[in-house]
Amino acid sequence: MTAPPSESAPSSHAPSPHAKPRPRMSPDSKPFWDGCRRHELLLPTCEDCGRAHLPPGPVCPFCFSDRLAWKKASGRGRISTFVVVHKEWFPAFKPDLPYNVVQVELEEGPRLTANLVGHGGRKPVIGEAVRIVFDTIDDTLTMPRFEPA
Amino acid sequence: MKIDAAIVGIGASPFGRFLPESQLGLMAKAFKAALADAGLERSDIDGLSTHMGSPLGVDYDRVAEAFGLDIRYVNQSWLHGRFVTNALQHAALAVSAGLADVVACVTGISFTRERDLLGGPGDMEGMREEGGTHGEAPTYGLTAPAGGAALSMQRYMHLYGGTSEKLAAVPMQIRQHALLNPDAFMKEPLTLEKHQASRMVVDPLRLYDCCLMTDGAVVLLVTTTERARDLKQKPVRIAGMQGIRSGRDEFIFAPPGLGINQQPATGIRAKPVDQEIYARSGIDRGAVKGLYTYDAFAPLPLFVLERFGFCGAGEALDFVQGGTIGPGGSLPLNTHGGLLSEAHVAGWNHLREMVRQLRGQAGPRQIADADVLQWATCWGDSVLLAA
Repeated sequence: MTAPPSESAPSSHAPSPHAKPRPRMSPDSKPFWDGCRRHELLLPTCEDCGRAHLPPGPVCPFCFSDRLAWKKASGRGRISTFVVVHKEWFPAFKPDLPYNVVQVELEEGPRLTANLVGHGGRKPVIGEAVRIVFDTIDDTLTMPRFEPA
Repeated sequence: MKIDAAIVGIGASPFGRFLPESQLGLMAKAFKAALADAGLERSDIDGLSTHMGSPLGVDYDRVAEAFGLDIRYVNQSWLHGRFVTNALQHAALAVSAGLADVVACVTGISFTRERDLLGGPGDMEGMREEGGTHGEAPTYGLTAPAGGAALSMQRYMHLYGGTSEKLAAVPMQIRQHALLNPDAFMKEPLTLEKHQASRMVVDPLRLYDCCLMTDGAVVLLVTTTERARDLKQKPVRIAGMQGIRSGRDEFIFAPPGLGINQQPATGIRAKPVDQEIYARSGIDRGAVKGLYTYDAFAPLPLFVLERFGFCGAGEALDFVQGGTIGPGGSLPLNTHGGLLSEAHVAGWNHLREMVRQLRGQAGPRQIADADVLQWATCWGDSVLLAA
């Protein structure tokens, strides 16, 4: 079965219970996802104060400037917190149970939520160094994940 | 404008799971009980402050239509428990400003029927353009408020030390209170063994670290202190209040500084502005005889204790060991059993209990000399109620 293209997904509020939810892309966040498809981690960065932020917004949350540019980030960071999900909330994630979700503080400052892969199934560790990897789901969606650095 | 408001009536439906009544039906029972409690008529009610409206509960206009009310002031919040005293504070502001004479605060929920909204494929909040407000990441399988509380507790335990065994002190003591409350859904003691044997929901939170999902309704009636003096019950005065905090310092289920989502990771900071309720009301923290808080998840009371200065940053897990917050403890917390052991009526069951305590109607749970009680949440809002 071919998943619907992501461009047509945003109007759907409730994802199909049989598929993993796809990201909701807004005019503010679409360049982030476009970057992932090119295997680039892009962060909205303020051209006035120089700070990057997440989640992508329409203005700089630090200095309220409109002058934002998408800049390539290093993809390196450290796990700041994590959980391991045991409850079956989504039927589509049942085969993955239990699975982790991590928050990673990127070198540039903002934190990105994703999961840790390539770690042999052990628990993530707060403070451990990680680097981004890109997981191609289909032609229109590539998901960022992290692996031990 | 000074706040001049008192709670003059309380009413509740039965609490339970898979109750036969509609949400509106549960509200009707609570509404009639609150009017009888206060000695007021339906026609005396000219304000409505509803909590848990769309998309989970019942909207204000349907309440007014169904109960035949004639309303001139309305406030409504969307589904989350965080707005419990926000709704009460709006009622207090409205009667203080003369926008209404008597405001009914109304909440009725059937979580057993509606819970699919709170996580999984039905998590419409998590799938909105800007996502959910508890750290939801549905694309990675993280959904529901429990996930946000788990993200916070994991980091808290890493920074300050702590174990699931120590966290168990919170639900265990709240259960001890519940055993003294005939309305409580949970009837058996919670032992450490039982807590540790319970299934992991979202590590580090186990089943008994997560609240009940029940059905029930509570109605509170608010009017001015002058009018309150002529009514049936001993008035419970709203002696102080402060609002919900919001900004980049805040994550709904973490104290400032914990470093969840985009919060600065400075270490937990109890900011003076977050404790302004004491100075503004002229009531010291030391005068508080009991603390009431939104205990949807076991870590949340810990964050409240630190945010409001009952103990220092990172000290709450030690503070709650040894019976401090249980029956007869130095700071009894959620003496009715809270969301963890009485029922999930979104905090309105807590306010009902505070009123009963301040009237001296709490039976075997009565806190001796209960003259000042505090509601406080880890997202920073608070209300002081006084006899």
